[in-house]
Amino acid sequence: MKIYRAALLTLLFCSLLAVPALAVRIEISAPGEQTIPLAIVPLLPMGTAKAGIAEEFQQVLENDLTFSGLFDLVDPESFLADAKKLTLHSTQVDFGQWRMLGADALIKGGYRLEGEKLIVELRLYDVVSRRLLTGRRYFGKLRDVRRIAHSFADQVLLSLTGELGPFNSRIAYISKRTGYKELYLMDVDGHNPVRLTDHRSIVLNPDFSPTRKELIFTSYKKGNPDLYRKEIYTGRESRLSLKPGLNIGGRYSPDGREIALTLSKDKNSEIYLIGTDGTIHKRLTNHYSIDVDPSWSPDGQQIAFVSDRRGNPNIFIVDINTLAVKRLTYAGKYNATPAWNPKGGRIAFARLKDRQFNIFSIRPDGSDERQLTFGPGSKEHPRWSPDGRFLVYSLDENNEKSIWMMRADGTGARRISAPGSSDSHPAWSGRW
Amino acid sequence: MNKFNIARLLVMLFALTLLASGCAKKPVAEETVIEEPAEVAVVEEQPVVVVEQQVDEAAVARAAAEAAATRAASGLQRIHFDFDQYVLTDDAKQILADNAALLKAAPGVKVQVEGHCDDRGSDEYNLALGEKRALATKNYLVSLGIAADRLSVISYGEERPLDPADNKVAWAKNRRAEFRVRR
Repeated sequence: MKIYRAALLTLLFCSLLAVPALAVRIEISAPGEQTIPLAIVPLLPMGTAKAGIAEEFQQVLENDLTFSGLFDLVDPESFLADAKKLTLHSTQVDFGQWRMLGADALIKGGYRLEGEKLIVELRLYDVVSRRLLTGRRYFGKLRDVRRIAHSFADQVLLSLTGELGPFNSRIAYISKRTGYKELYLMDVDGHNPVRLTDHRSIVLNPDFSPTRKELIFTSYKKGNPDLYRKEIYTGRESRLSLKPGLNIGGRYSPDGREIALTLSKDKNSEIYLIGTDGTIHKRLTNHYSIDVDPSWSPDGQQIAFVSDRRGNPNIFIVDINTLAVKRLTYAGKYNATPAWNPKGGRIAFARLKDRQFNIFSIRPDGSDERQLTFGPGSKEHPRWSPDGRFLVYSLDENNEKSIWMMRADGTGARRISAPGSSDSHPAWSGRW
Repeated sequence: MNKFNIARLLVMLFALTLLASGCAKKPVAEETVIEEPAEVAVVEEQPVVVVEQQVDEAAVARAAAEAAATRAASGLQRIHFDFDQYVLTDDAKQILADNAALLKAAPGVKVQVEGHCDDRGSDEYNLALGEKRALATKNYLVSLGIAADRLSVISYGEERPLDPADNKVAWAKNRRAEFRVRR
């Protein structure tokens, strides 16, 4: 009896600790981070089975969760009898079996087909506390399997870390696969690429509106590098800024109300703020040197940019209210393309050394600079995921340009764009 | 008394001459009117000849301008820059002096100066650098007497390399300003 009570108390204690313990472990940039042992049971049919659904779902979900770097997947070969049972309620799950396999977290689910309609039930359990952490029911079409898997991956991250994952967002990028640089859109794992422009000119450097399904980019379509805006679903497109000279590097403010960009209407590149109607609100820099590549701080009060005002291209930060400028990077001879983490904390940028770029990150106060990429090829154009956990960037190696993704600490790099298509300049959308 | 009579006589004489001349002029005028058609016919023929000559002259001028424009279009030489620089080299200035001469000979020609970079720097920075190169080129031509409104600028950054290869020779070729004649 006493032993039983002790066990019960221990269990109670564990269940109390379990959630905070998991959450603490998931601090991504913590050095020597621990991973959560996770078992993902393949989807079971809740009616007639259809070949391919469970497999595709499993592949997408595993891919996302592995990339997050937060999990250690339990080998499905070792799964016991409970894996064969559709247990959508925590009281039905034999948690003891999963405990034996060393799993701390467990994902189970089932799918049902009703004509063209697909319904997927998903559960994330905490094996230690024997609790349901998150339960989701998705309604979609057969072709939405990947989308559902991405959405649930985001929910898993939300449940375990308090911050939604970025896997159901999109990547905009520039591809030259038609022979011209045009704007494209794809899923974060490189699937479903769609071409958005047909300018047959030069399209450059996209950025997503944080509030609408809308992109801005620069195009030479009308013979001058003008800034364009495009609604993604209607396809509606307009020229937003068409000042003589450069209208480049447009970046929406975090609230989506303004755009920082480089204009050279006065014969020298300077950073400006314009409204979403294209009217100039404010000039932020005033220096005869080159000033380009703005990137907003998460609070929308400061902008990191590139300037050669001290000789070589380096990264500076301007306060948009006082216009005070401070220098951020001192090391290296050529620092460019700053990208401020939307959750704060760090600014990623690319440094040119020995004829190739590598990606670094640094705190906004200039301390704690770290090199994130190594090895052959030039890595440029870093951009953060909306949750600030990941970076997407371009790799130029052996004259092939491709898009890659990695974690904020530089680990887990993987190629996401298809081979042989000359893709660059990714931008990560906000929540979709 | 005598003086008064002389004056009176003079006035009368003057009046008479006026009358006489008035009467005498009429027939002369009539004659010239009669002769006029012949003269008008000559005048009418002349403009045709003159107009034809003017057409010829314009055509000649046009052909000359065309030739000068063609010479300018084919003769304007591109210039090159050092890495991360938009300062004109001595070689570049020499070439621009030749280009200025071609442009002076073809005053009707307008030129777009294109600034280009090699692909080693960052894209946005290179767009700005390319523009600085184009502007430095334009300003030098203006200092040599070419009207500023004949010269527009555009930067292509690293988007249009002459040689896509990844070596020193290609990079040096790609760091340049080019001239595109617009007619």
